Amino acid sequence: MIYFTELQNLSTYDVKGDYLGQLQDLCVDPSQNGLRVASLLVRTPKKTVLCITHEQIQSVSVRAAQTSVPKEEVRCYAPDEGLLHIKKDVLDQQIIDVNHRKVVRVNDVDLDIVPTDGHTELRILAVNVGWAAAIHRLLQGLVAKHRIRMIAGLFPSKNIPWEFVNLIEPDPARRVKLRLTYDRVAEMHPADIADILEELSRDEQKAVIESLDEETAAQALSEIPTRMQVDLLESINPEKAAGIVEEMPPDEAADVLQELPPETSAELLNDMEKEGAEEVRELLAFEENTAGALMTTEYLMVGEAATVEGAIAAVRHFEGAPESIQAVYLVDMTGRLTGAVPLARILLAEAGAPLKELSFDPVISIQSHEDDKAVIDLFHKYNLMSLPVVDEKGHLLGVVTADDVLELVVKRR
Amino acid sequence: MNQQRLRRLRKNLLIFLAVLGPGIITANVDNDAGGILTYSQAGASYGFSLLWTLIPITIALIVVQEMVARMGVVTGKGLADLIREEYGFRATFILMGLLLAANFSNTVAEFAGLASGMSVLGVSRYIVVPLGAALVWGLVVRGTYRVVEKVFLVACLFYIAYPLSCFLAHPNWAEALRRTVVPSFHFDYQYLYMLIGVVGTTIAPWMQFYQQASTVEKGIKVKDLKYSRWDVIVGCTITDAVAFFIIVACAATIYASGHRDIHSGADAALALRPLAGRAAGALFAFGLCNASLFAASILPLATAYYVCEGLGLESGLDKRLPEAPAFYSLYTGLIFLGALTVLFLSEAKQISIILLSQVANGVLLPLVLIYMLRLINRPDLMGAHCNSRFFNYVAWITCVVMIVLTVFLTVTSFFPQPSPRVGPARQGPSREAFVEDFLCAARFLASSARSTH
Repeated sequence: MIYFTELQNLSTYDVKGDYLGQLQDLCVDPSQNGLRVASLLVRTPKKTVLCITHEQIQSVSVRAAQTSVPKEEVRCYAPDEGLLHIKKDVLDQQIIDVNHRKVVRVNDVDLDIVPTDGHTELRILAVNVGWAAAIHRLLQGLVAKHRIRMIAGLFPSKNIPWEFVNLIEPDPARRVKLRLTYDRVAEMHPADIADILEELSRDEQKAVIESLDEETAAQALSEIPTRMQVDLLESINPEKAAGIVEEMPPDEAADVLQELPPETSAELLNDMEKEGAEEVRELLAFEENTAGALMTTEYLMVGEAATVEGAIAAVRHFEGAPESIQAVYLVDMTGRLTGAVPLARILLAEAGAPLKELSFDPVISIQSHEDDKAVIDLFHKYNLMSLPVVDEKGHLLGVVTADDVLELVVKRR
Repeated sequence: MNQQRLRRLRKNLLIFLAVLGPGIITANVDNDAGGILTYSQAGASYGFSLLWTLIPITIALIVVQEMVARMGVVTGKGLADLIREEYGFRATFILMGLLLAANFSNTVAEFAGLASGMSVLGVSRYIVVPLGAALVWGLVVRGTYRVVEKVFLVACLFYIAYPLSCFLAHPNWAEALRRTVVPSFHFDYQYLYMLIGVVGTTIAPWMQFYQQASTVEKGIKVKDLKYSRWDVIVGCTITDAVAFFIIVACAATIYASGHRDIHSGADAALALRPLAGRAAGALFAFGLCNASLFAASILPLATAYYVCEGLGLESGLDKRLPEAPAFYSLYTGLIFLGALTVLFLSEAKQISIILLSQVANGVLLPLVLIYMLRLINRPDLMGAHCNSRFFNYVAWITCVVMIVLTVFLTVTSFFPQPSPRVGPARQGPSREAFVEDFLCAARFLASSARSTH
């Protein structure tokens, strides 16, 4: 194994032993092989840059590199956005380590020297983020290479296998050329993605969000501070933004839209599907810091005459996120709240039992104009998981769930 | 028509208030213990004759701080991050090492300022300094920092005491204004030291890192750049307006009295006597302690952040100790070693520590300025927001002047000072200490040590 730092400024010779120049950077061509170094860039004494392709590499060591062809056959380097440059694009940059779910800065890149039929291949093994790599960077060129290895050996080394490394490229066109995807990032828990987003700069956040699917993006976005949500939604393409807002829980969506400039939020609402937009519009009508603004309109409601069987069917057909259901709400013909049945009671009851008999008694609810503090007090007093919100006449408007209340409490602390 | 203009004004004002902050906070932290004491000394020893430096200093400060604010807004990254990404590990490591050394000295000076402030009230530094250190450390680790920052900021209204005191002391305003506009210069070592001290305490390297980081944290958008610019201008102007009034107040009281030398916080408090009478000491003590604690609660934390981010170590108060050991050790170490230095080392050793880190400050500032100017002229980073040619001229001139001054300061601090020619403005005994005037904080350390024994 060899560090990229050890190859920097390496003297390079052609097959006849003529000096070519100093090694400057390594390129990977992701369109062909994402692990193999496709070319070495060598700076000649005349300040031109040569590009030695992987077939032309005879040997590489910490002392020197040699080509398998005479120098007349080595071409000049033509800048290519489609190549990944180890020094320029990877070294010292921030990457997402999907394994440890965090953002880290690259200290060095570990490479493997593999002799293959007649020439030598360099393969990328991992990026190094530990102290040992830092020592290499610090002492390179000042102390003999074997001494550096000795000193660095005293420090812990920490590397991240290349397959777990996600580079962050703000330019979408280049992202396509470099074949960067965030599939592995998308597989992480949305809360972890949110933590990662918070550590990145605005352009980098944009890069990650744009490459996630709308549902994952919406889940991750729901977990970051509102100000950041606003910045991000404003900066990405409006169609994608509308798609993301549509996937967010209606109460979260309403919170963000409230903070966005009126033109932007109107535009997003127009781009959203009619039904979703309507729900969010209703929520937007409530004043800030009231039960109405806190509630979501994604809840499960059945007629008060329904049986357990009917309720279970309703759960199965529920369109929102199933884990958000805590209880099934009963309403009369005019939409007035008459009962609330926790899901667990429904599971335990006979299929034919009327829901009305399983309901909490009395039903705890709150009027939409009451403030946050009243909501917190009710949750605290009655140990609630969810709380229905009604208007002055008792019509069911929405539901406040425990996660939103928890967030509120944490924010107030 | 008129109403429309009014509405636009209101909207602009609202955006300005939302963007407001980083510049003004940085500027207020800039008026820390070292700042107050240096300005006091400048006014006390030289009357109005250093006032002219304030206008060029303000321009230089605005130019430098506007550039970092702009970089923060456009790139969304901190200065340490940018330097790391563009200039590699070694450059960052060296810069961060110097920043650490420089800010350690600043922290020591803050605690010395705290001790000196409270000694006016007769409270021992053995009580004040440990309490101050524990308070600052606890506030930040307990996460109540944001609230506390506002308290400190409000307490900065204390500076109004200086202009008020000025007016009551009836200085010769015409003369003060004339000396502000018309430069005068003495080729006198003492005077030069003082001049460099005033420049050095006003434009310090930590400010660039701090301003850029807090601009990024605030999430200011490119379209609000002009408001951010005003934030910087207002902040820098406040800093130097405060400096102006401190110098005038000290000139009108201490310098006018003929005593002209400040040996302790009690001496410096005399400047507030026209306003506060017998309570001047208490008022000064309050102001100095507030300034010291404000800076002491920001500098070590900020330093720990930049060093960790630049070197790619875990940082942040939302992480627990085992997750971010380097961050917490740096933060805690800066505060407690800073406090211990003030408590237990002899005067001479304290001075040599401050001296050493003043050198670090001096070496760091030109480096930071040069990196900054190179970064901000990179179209791939800054796009359309690179410096204009005119701005570059101004920035490079600022830079060169700062470099010449800091190199001069750094070099001379190593050599024994030649016996000062007693200039027209200078009286009082010349002491043996070879760094007598260039760093007031050092002197106050000594004086606080003396007054508590």
